[in-house]
Amino acid sequence: MSTLDNDLARPQGAEPAADPVERSLLGFLRTRTKSEWTADQDLFASGAVSSLFYLELLQFVEQEFQVTVEGDDITLDNFRTVHAMAALVRRLRAGASGEPGPRP
Amino acid sequence: MTAGPVAAARAALTELVGDRADEWDRLGRIPGPVVREASRRGLLCAQVGPEYGGLGLDSGDNGELTAHAGSLCSSLRSLMTSQGMAAWTVQRFGSAEQRRAVLPRLTGGEVVGVAFSEPEAGSDLSRMGTEIRRDGDEVRVRGAKIWTTGAAYADLLAVFGTYGGGAAVVLVPTDAPGVRVERLADPMGCRAAGHADVHLDDVRLPAGRLLGGAGMPLAMLATSALTYGRLSVAWGCAGILRACLDATTRHARQRVQFGKPLAEHQLIARHLAELTVGEQVARRCCEFASACWDEGSPQTGTQTVLAKYVASREAVKGAAAAVQVLASRGARDGHPVARAYRDAKLMEIIEGSTEISQLLLAEHALSESMGAGL
Repeated sequence: MSTLDNDLARPQGAEPAADPVERSLLGFLRTRTKSEWTADQDLFASGAVSSLFYLELLQFVEQEFQVTVEGDDITLDNFRTVHAMAALVRRLRAGASGEPGPRP
Repeated sequence: MTAGPVAAARAALTELVGDRADEWDRLGRIPGPVVREASRRGLLCAQVGPEYGGLGLDSGDNGELTAHAGSLCSSLRSLMTSQGMAAWTVQRFGSAEQRRAVLPRLTGGEVVGVAFSEPEAGSDLSRMGTEIRRDGDEVRVRGAKIWTTGAAYADLLAVFGTYGGGAAVVLVPTDAPGVRVERLADPMGCRAAGHADVHLDDVRLPAGRLLGGAGMPLAMLATSALTYGRLSVAWGCAGILRACLDATTRHARQRVQFGKPLAEHQLIARHLAELTVGEQVARRCCEFASACWDEGSPQTGTQTVLAKYVASREAVKGAAAAVQVLASRGARDGHPVARAYRDAKLMEIIEGSTEISQLLLAEHALSESMGAGL
């Protein structure tokens, strides 16, 4: 799909996701839910996120962006929107501490 | 991971259990020093890394170890499931400080249980009544848990409860004031796994005992722990099937009726074929789910449900076939196939019953095909 098609396919009013992390998250959500999402749409309010899917999202974020999400970073707010997840990824990448984290 | 540490861990388990699993089943307990030694050698939570004194196995290798335990003694294997589930919960939700404080204890001789079930909250976790409450520098825990695996041996319990509008996990020492552990007298299976009811009567602990993720929806906290638990149970069931297949083929070769070995009777041969298939199918599902775990694949949660569902049902069928073939030779408490028969049935109940697994798998199928509602 070309960039142009992507733009046309985006729901009305949605800003183009310039951030590659956001693009990748939106792509994952689109593949898994077979519907379009915007970066500021509340995933939990939508009722679309089951507990297994939350785990899937967590695993995707860790695997795709090579970060470890743990302890106090595991909150609903950090996963509520694509914006929030991207911000979490940026913060974790900036502050990688070298402390051995959980796998996977 | 090389074969070395897994082979050594397998040998350590074989040595610890020896030929005593029958006796432990009949007595309803494993000697305390055996359990502590298993913990001290890192066998109860073998995925915990060397930085915390653990063996650092990946999920596939820990699975092989778990299956080996399941083939020897499902009670000890149950303790591996709980300890591993608790360790994983601490790794997943604990702070760096909590991991450093707790994980070395779980590879250093201590035992931990995971307290989920309650009188009114079995499959329906939303009915959970245990309350965890922040009170200044303390947390207070009040409630009652049932069927907590390993609690009768435990130094520590990972207790799930409600927390504000969501849920939390708190680490409760079993010797804290207000904690009472009451061993279940007569579990039908995994009789030596130390199942117990736990009473938490306004237990007060330092707030540092509360793991991260506090306030998350209960289902989301629980699913992470259960994913480890389901995979561990699934591998344990693959081990039960291995033990049943071995006992059944041995017996069928030796036992002569109507002038020939049982193995040459076609109806018995069919049991052997079905057991072979059951063992292989269970193992393949476990291997795939563990590969997903080790890759960090988003499929992991669903694949562990599938593996647990398949393996526990195959174990129930396979153990019943084994008892059928061994007949009077196996129909005695303590005998490996009699244990397998009772133990396997419990595996269809814990960590998400067969029916709950079916609902989760159906939900997944719908989400894959329709897109609406995950």
